[in-house]
Amino acid sequence: MSEHTIHPKSASRMNDEMLSSLKPPTLRWYGLAFLLGAVVAWGIYAFSYMVTTDMSCTGLDRPVMWGVFIVNFVFWIGLSHSGTMVSAILRLSQANWRRPILRAAEAMTVFTVAVGGLFPLIHLGRNWVFFYLIPYPNQRGLWPNFRSPLLWDAMAITTYIIGSSLFLYLGMLPDLAVARDRAHGWRLKLYTVLAMGWRGTAREWVVYQQASTLMAALIIPVAVSVHSIVAWDFAVTVVPGWHSTIFPPYFVIGAIHSGVAAVITLMIVIRKAFHLEEYLTPLHFDNMGKLQLVITLLWSYAYFVEVQTTWYAHEPIEWEVYSFMAHKYTFILLLMLFGNSILPIIVLCFKRLRRSIPVMLAITLLINVGMFIERFLIIVPSLSHKNMPFVWGTYFPSWVELSITAGAFAGFALMYTLFAKTFPMVAMTDVHEYESQKALMLLGRTRVPSLVGKE
Amino acid sequence: MELLGIFKDVGSAASAVECLLREGFVEAQITSLTLVPYPDGVLVKTNQRTLFRWFTLACGIIGAGVGFILAAGTAWVYPVQTGDKPIIAFYPTGIVTYELTMLFFMVGTVVGMFLEMKLPNRAHRPYDAAITEGCIGISLSIHPGGEPVACEPGALPTECIGGIALLPAAEQKERAEEIMNDAGALRITTEVQP
Repeated sequence: MSEHTIHPKSASRMNDEMLSSLKPPTLRWYGLAFLLGAVVAWGIYAFSYMVTTDMSCTGLDRPVMWGVFIVNFVFWIGLSHSGTMVSAILRLSQANWRRPILRAAEAMTVFTVAVGGLFPLIHLGRNWVFFYLIPYPNQRGLWPNFRSPLLWDAMAITTYIIGSSLFLYLGMLPDLAVARDRAHGWRLKLYTVLAMGWRGTAREWVVYQQASTLMAALIIPVAVSVHSIVAWDFAVTVVPGWHSTIFPPYFVIGAIHSGVAAVITLMIVIRKAFHLEEYLTPLHFDNMGKLQLVITLLWSYAYFVEVQTTWYAHEPIEWEVYSFMAHKYTFILLLMLFGNSILPIIVLCFKRLRRSIPVMLAITLLINVGMFIERFLIIVPSLSHKNMPFVWGTYFPSWVELSITAGAFAGFALMYTLFAKTFPMVAMTDVHEYESQKALMLLGRTRVPSLVGKE
Repeated sequence: MELLGIFKDVGSAASAVECLLREGFVEAQITSLTLVPYPDGVLVKTNQRTLFRWFTLACGIIGAGVGFILAAGTAWVYPVQTGDKPIIAFYPTGIVTYELTMLFFMVGTVVGMFLEMKLPNRAHRPYDAAITEGCIGISLSIHPGGEPVACEPGALPTECIGGIALLPAAEQKERAEEIMNDAGALRITTEVQP
């Protein structure tokens, strides 16, 4: 039997195992939720402090008026990229190993885009008039300036968060019916409403499968557009280091790079927390590792092209930005290159290392540290040295920005933790479907699994 | 009236369907309730044609219109003259139109899917929680009975209820229950529609 073949078990037992995450929370779970909640509360306090004083409590000052808030925005939107996209691509390509990881990836997208979408609002300064972004008739005859990339972000993020939520919900629909049939109390009411009366009739399945495929095909161009638009926030300006035609594809590749790494990290956490070792096997990490390797090579190529073009042309103002970055931020630049490119390429070439859970955890965490640094190095050095030398400056985030950042990370973890306790974390019917498609048939002297499915 | 037989495995459920068809019931009356999708014909044959994608397309076209009107239309109504740039900027209008088109496409897909599935359905339909534990449900709609059904022109044999309709509903039910029990049904439930 192949490695990703789960040992034959009754559907009922598989349901027990896959729904184990919904068991009543333990004391440790409450402790974790409280800790995360406390960090979120601290982040909210820091944000309130910024609103009630002014932006001078941040490290932002001329010429660096985009700082950690925008770094966070690009980073979180980047993370959101892969969950839905990886899930959609694997669905469309009918990769059978995808099944246990779909939910983790899709849920990650929804929560990361929710966190990422907050940062432009936090960055606004006068946050309380954020609704000026929304087009509505008003007595002042004002209308949002659609030429502003900020508004493109608002449109793209709104589309993406709605689309990703629908994609997540669509994938969960049959699983909600399974959870409904086993639930009591408030959970029964919740799952009954969300399952919409799903019974699993032949007709429902036909329509559902067609809708899932169509949705997967629709969400991919949306995901690409979202990060392209984030890249245009930079590329349509005339700031040195930003005004580059490669930025949209480079950002999309970077987003997939960090997103795939985050999916692997979450798979490891979920596997450990909910004892899903039989469903998230080394094969899944091996395949995701191969995907990560390809993306790492692509990212490295894109970064090389970006830097070598500037280096070869040696255009003074462009080169000044790179020189400043290399001198002022040497350590983090090297850490980024090592974590994002050199180490993953070396490690992920080896099957044994791709199948090692601790190694994969270390590599994927390092990639995301590297990607956060990369966002920082795109934004800050360019703004620091964009104009005449007498206005050059530098930037260091204040406690307010760092607290809000910590709050964002904790907020994501808290939302994910609550989701995992409320909804099935493994795409159960997808796993069951794969099991049902296999039938042991006699081939030569042994019985091998055959796969029955639609062409 | 709707009858639901619960079977332990695909084999016995498929055998029940075969026998029901031989008895004179037709495919249009029978459906399967399963935890996972099965290829068409393993249990029942369904009409694979769906219409919701036309609904999705219509929603996408509406989305494109809304996006264009939002970006270009309002730029025209609230003109902001910036240098010699056109009032309606091609690039931002394209982005806003694209995003709203895709948004409407996706919302249209999900709404259309539910419309086509006829969900949520407030009517009480026969169901058994054993289905999500891996059992197979075979559901049969019983014709009111007692009168012949004239097949509409062009109706497929799988849709046209023939001689079985002449029998009273109670007798149809009795025969169906007997067939399901013979095929190995674990239990049979009946739901009477108001």
